[in-house]
Amino acid sequence: MNLIPLVLYFCAFVGYSLHFARRTPVSARLATTMLAAATLAHTFIIGMQTMQVGQVPVFDATSAISMFVWLLAVAYLYTEVTTDERAMGVFILPLILALQAIPAFKRTAEVRSSVLQGPLFGVHVSSLLFAYASFALAFVIGITYVLLFKEIKTKHLGVFYARLPSLQVLDQMNQRAIVVGWVFLTIGLIAGGVFALEAHAPAMSIEDPKILVSLICWVVYSFELFAARRIGWAGRKAANLSAVGFAIVLLNFVLISYFTSSHKF
Amino acid sequence: MHLLLVGISHKTAPIDLRERVDFQARGIELALRTLAARNPGGGPGELAVLSTCNRAELYIACDDVVAAKSELVSFVSAFHDVDHAAIAPHIYDVTDLEAARHLFRVAAGLDSLVVGEPQILGQVKEAHSAARQAETAGPLLNRLFHACFAVGKRVRTETNLGSGAVSVSYAAVNLAKKIFGTLEGRSVVVLGAGEMGKLTAQHMKSQGVRQVTIVSRTIAHAARTAEAIGGATAARWEDMDAALSASDIVITATGAAAPILTKARVESVMRPRRGRPLFVIDIAVPRDVEPAAGEIDQVFLYNIDDLQASVRENLARRASEVSRAEAIVDEELGKFATWMRSRGVIPTVVALRQSFESIRRAEVDRLDFKLSALPSDVRDEARARVDEITHLLVEKLLLTPTEQLKSLADPETAAIYADAIARVFALEEAEAKSDSRVEPFRAKPRPSGRR
Repeated sequence: MNLIPLVLYFCAFVGYSLHFARRTPVSARLATTMLAAATLAHTFIIGMQTMQVGQVPVFDATSAISMFVWLLAVAYLYTEVTTDERAMGVFILPLILALQAIPAFKRTAEVRSSVLQGPLFGVHVSSLLFAYASFALAFVIGITYVLLFKEIKTKHLGVFYARLPSLQVLDQMNQRAIVVGWVFLTIGLIAGGVFALEAHAPAMSIEDPKILVSLICWVVYSFELFAARRIGWAGRKAANLSAVGFAIVLLNFVLISYFTSSHKF
Repeated sequence: MHLLLVGISHKTAPIDLRERVDFQARGIELALRTLAARNPGGGPGELAVLSTCNRAELYIACDDVVAAKSELVSFVSAFHDVDHAAIAPHIYDVTDLEAARHLFRVAAGLDSLVVGEPQILGQVKEAHSAARQAETAGPLLNRLFHACFAVGKRVRTETNLGSGAVSVSYAAVNLAKKIFGTLEGRSVVVLGAGEMGKLTAQHMKSQGVRQVTIVSRTIAHAARTAEAIGGATAARWEDMDAALSASDIVITATGAAAPILTKARVESVMRPRRGRPLFVIDIAVPRDVEPAAGEIDQVFLYNIDDLQASVRENLARRASEVSRAEAIVDEELGKFATWMRSRGVIPTVVALRQSFESIRRAEVDRLDFKLSALPSDVRDEARARVDEITHLLVEKLLLTPTEQLKSLADPETAAIYADAIARVFALEEAEAKSDSRVEPFRAKPRPSGRR
């Protein structure tokens, strides 16, 4: 079922590429409409799954990724509508496509552990997903920052110079996304810790790679947020740091979920 | 009725002549009133005057193009007190669709001195609103101007004709905006009290820069330049590093033979800034900033050649967009041409409708005595019904022929059809009988004193 949004997201990607190349009002409308349609279809599917299981479907990695993609699409649509900047779409959609391919071609788990219940678990998973979506957005904004930075620095003003907002605006957007992400990451981690204590879950320790990597992630983003600018790591370095942070997020979210047995109950 | 354009522009006349025929100097409204009183070429008397520093153009709707042309030329010469023989060779005139094409190209910025410059569309809008205020814009000119606004808007949004800076100081401002977003609240330091630095600083100031500091070896020079810019401050040469550390944009324009800002010096200036970007514009020749300074992270260094290269690139890009803009002009001109042609059959359409309407009225009147026999409570209702039904019937009968007539593309065919309809329905006789014919071309009744 997750195939339908994947196809629609692909159409939106074509729309945004077209808009990036042509920049006509028609292509702009087309791109946004396609993405809105994809997000709507995705909302519908997640809604149906929620009705089926009686809870937001986030208890296994595959459905959590689907949820994450949906959050990312909504967050991006929100920034697009509020800033009227569409140049970023062509960067964000490949990420959406790559991640949505996982739930589209992989079946979700049907059995769920009885441990994974209660409000704290919900807070834990949804905060983390929202944090990851924000970090993904920050990562994409960071990439565009670096691309524009290079064009201005090397004096080859071209494709990105004509299409992207200013460095200052990109830097602010990146920072804002990281602030939001960091707040939810912190909430998610605390909720997870408290939940683990309450549920007496087995094997909850720093040795669990997922927990370890999450903590590293928190340290990286905390550094970017509170220390980087004080030591002069602004602009390009901050953008690179958000790429590093997101690489860790992806490692944690996708690789560790599928290729190790950690954090499973 | 024809559309006629008579004008001079930077393409046909030298600057001293263009300065003398500036309609804005004596007021567009006065020009419109004076010209309306003459009603050149006869006809509906629709007029508009487009006056910018590079062109003065008169657009009129008239019946006799030849008479109107010579009248307009003598009007221009008389109104501006310029010798007729001196101005006549510089004046161009075009009619109908070519006149429309000219205005469309003007509105698109295709006819401008700097192709794609954005001000012209606003000036064309002003010309139209002046004509509307003076009540000299009728259906033809209103349609023409609205069509040209559409062209201007489409060219601006669908092509890159107006994109990119085409002067060095604009290029510097554009770059600064791409780095800092807005220039509001930013501070600029100018090294050197010369003319070039002053001009660029003034440009930055007009973009909302908060503070401009002039640093010069002689404080008196710096103070003078600061005063000339207005609201700027002067700083001593020894305080340069402190000023640089606090600034966002540095413009260097000294006459020094060796670089003033070495890489090491810029590095030391950058240290307390904590990664805040610094945009250095070196417009001095020989250069004031060591090229290696551009390697420092968060320092964007542009010299005069870089800026000029970007200007050249932008000009080339604009040139490559011309054909796209011309295609938009052609497309919109096609729409306008269809509308113009449909106007040719309007008298016939109006006459046909009037003929049908008079028949309907006559028949309804004839039937009225039968309706009067009805009881009073249903009489009015019956009358209203009959009126409504007959009206609808006439409307429906005429709908298809009207649409077909208006859609005829070729004016000759349209004329043949119009003639045939006039004969078949004996429209001329009907016209002769009726005195209440509405003249379809008239915009709105104007006070007779102005004509």
